[in-house]
Amino acid sequence: MNKNGKNKIKQKFNKRLFLHRLRYKFIGYNVVDGIGSRIVSYIILIAISYIFFYPLLKMASMSLMSPNDIINPEVDWIPEKISFRNFMAAWYVLGMPKTLFNSIWYSGTLALFQTIVSATTGFAFARYQFKFKNFWFTMVLISFIIPLPIVIIPRIMLFTSLQSSTGIQLIGTIIPQLVLTMFGQGINSAILILIFYNFFRMIPKSLDEAAHIDGATAFQVFWHIIIKLSVPTIVTVFLFSFVWNWNETYVTGTFLRGAIKLLPMQLANFDNVFSDLASQIPGQGGDNRINEAYKMAATFISIIPLLITYAFAQKQFIEGIENTGIKD
Amino acid sequence: MRKTKNNTGRGKTRRDNIRGYAFLAPWLFGFLGFTVFPLFYTFYLSFNEVKMTVLGWETKFIGIENYASALLRNIEFTPALVNFALMEIIYTPAIVLISFILAILLNQKIKFRASFRVIFFLPVIVMSGSVMHQLMDTGSTEIVWVGQIFIFKIIYSYSPLLARIIEILFQNFSILLWFTGIPIVLFINGLQKIDRSLYEAAQIDGSSSWQSFWKITIPIIRPIALVTTFFTIVQLGVFPINPVNSMIQDAIYNTAGGLGLASAYAYVYSLVMGVIILAAFLLLKEREEVTTTIKGKKKKKEEDFLYE
Repeated sequence: MNKNGKNKIKQKFNKRLFLHRLRYKFIGYNVVDGIGSRIVSYIILIAISYIFFYPLLKMASMSLMSPNDIINPEVDWIPEKISFRNFMAAWYVLGMPKTLFNSIWYSGTLALFQTIVSATTGFAFARYQFKFKNFWFTMVLISFIIPLPIVIIPRIMLFTSLQSSTGIQLIGTIIPQLVLTMFGQGINSAILILIFYNFFRMIPKSLDEAAHIDGATAFQVFWHIIIKLSVPTIVTVFLFSFVWNWNETYVTGTFLRGAIKLLPMQLANFDNVFSDLASQIPGQGGDNRINEAYKMAATFISIIPLLITYAFAQKQFIEGIENTGIKD
Repeated sequence: MRKTKNNTGRGKTRRDNIRGYAFLAPWLFGFLGFTVFPLFYTFYLSFNEVKMTVLGWETKFIGIENYASALLRNIEFTPALVNFALMEIIYTPAIVLISFILAILLNQKIKFRASFRVIFFLPVIVMSGSVMHQLMDTGSTEIVWVGQIFIFKIIYSYSPLLARIIEILFQNFSILLWFTGIPIVLFINGLQKIDRSLYEAAQIDGSSSWQSFWKITIPIIRPIALVTTFFTIVQLGVFPINPVNSMIQDAIYNTAGGLGLASAYAYVYSLVMGVIILAAFLLLKEREEVTTTIKGKKKKKEEDFLYE
C-alpha cells in the first residue's frame, strides 16, 4: 500500500511536470519535447503553409482548366479535362521566349551594378572611420523609408530634359535605371548595403593592415582581399538584386514605357495585349475571350524562372536576410 | 604633410577620411542627386504648374492650387488615401504578430523546420506587383467568404466596425501572409541570438515561462519588431494593393493635371506614410522606465540599433 501511494504521487508529479514543460515549449524555451505542443505547432504550421500556397495551387489548377471548367461550379480544383492550350496562348501573348531573355539581361545588368555599388558602400562603412560616418549610415537606413513617388518625378524630369538636350534616346532604354542603380539608388539598396556591411565587418582588419604594410593601395585591398573572401555574399546579394529588379514594375514601367518588353510588365498588361492579339493566337480558332485560365497560365509562366532560381538558391536567399544583421 | 603613411594619429584619420569617402562616393552622389535633391524639388513642384514645352520643363507658381485639387476637387484621392492608411494600420500589426508567432513555432526543434522556412520565404521571391494583381484579379487569393461564416454574422450584429476589420484581414489573407517572409527570418534570427542562460537563470529564480516570455523575450525582440514594422509598412506601400501609388502614376502620365499635381499627391501621401512610421516608432521604441535605470546601457543600445 505504501508503495502504491508513492507511485500515485510520482504520477501526479509527472503530470504537473509535463504541463510545465508544455508551457515552456510554447514560449520558445525548449527544455524537452512536449508531444502535445508539438502536434499543435505542426497543425498551425501546416495550415499556414496551405494558406501560403493556396494562391499558387489555385493558379496551377486554374491554368489547366478549359473555359467550361471555369464557369462550372462543380469543378473546384481538378479540371474535368486537362488542357494545355491556355499555356500555348499565354506563351504567345506574353511574347515568349524573347520577353524572358529581355527580363534576364535587363535584371542581370542592373543586379551586376547594384552589387558593385553596394559592395563599395558597405566596404566604406565597414572599414573606415570617416567624418559624419554615423550620419551617412543613418541616411542609408532612412533612404529605405522614403516613398518612391516623392523622388521619382524630378528623376523623370531630369532624364527627359537630358534626352531632349543631348538628343540621345534615354526614356525607353535601360540607361535611366542603370544610372540610378550605379549611384546606389536602385531597388532596396539599403538592404544590400547592410548585407555587405555586416559581412565585411567580420573579416579581420589585420588582413588589410598586413597588405597595406606590403604597399597595397586601398583599392587593391578591396579587390584582392575583401572581394576574394566574400564570394558567397556577393552571390547572395546578386541573386536578391536580380529577383528584386525582375519583380520591380513601378520604376521600370515609368522609364521604359513598354519599349522593352519585360516579363512582369507583359503580365501586368496581359489583358490588353490579349484582346489586341486575340485573333492571331495560334491553335485557338480565332474567337478568344479572356478568362481566368489564360491569366493564370500567364502568371504561372512568368514565375517559373523565379521558382527555378529559388529552388537552386533558397539557402542563399534565407541566409542573406539573416545577414542584414539586425541582431541586437 | 607627407605623414599620411603613418599608421597612428592624425595621419590615420586623414587617410580614413579620404579612403572612406572614395568608396562612399558613388552612393553619396547618387543619394544627394537622385534622392535628397528630388525630395526638395518635388516640394517646390507641388506649388507649381509644370508643363513640358519645346524648350524643356516650364514651371509657374500657383500657390496651394495643386493641394486644393488633390484634396478637395479630386473625389478619388482622399478615399484612396484613407483606405491606404486603414490598410497599413490593420495589416501591419497583423503581419508583425503572425510572423512573430510563426518564428516562435519555427524556433522549436521540430522536423521539416527547414522546409517550412523555405515555404514561408517563397513569396519574397515570386511576389511582384503584376503577379499579385493577377492572383487577386482572378480571385485566387480568397480562401473563404468570411461574410458567409456564421460567427462572422454574430460579430457583425455585435460590432460592425470589428466585423469590417476582420473582413479586411481575411479578404486577402494569403496576400497578407505573403508579406511575412522576411519578418519571419528576422524574428527567428533574433530569437536564436537570445542567450539561453537568461531563461535558465529566470527559471531558477522562480519565473514562470509566461513571465520569462514577457520579461526576457519581448524586451530583447523589441528592436527587431521595430525594424520589421518599418519594413512591413514600406513593403505594403510598394505593392499594388496600395491604391495611391497607381493614382500618382496616372497623374504622372496625365498631361492635363501635370507633374505639379502628381507632386502634391506624392507629398500628401509621403506625409501620411511619415505619420504612420512615426506612430509605429513611438509605440515600439524602448520604454523610458526600463532604460533610464541603466543609463549607460541605454545609449549603447541605441547605438547598436543604429549600426547593426
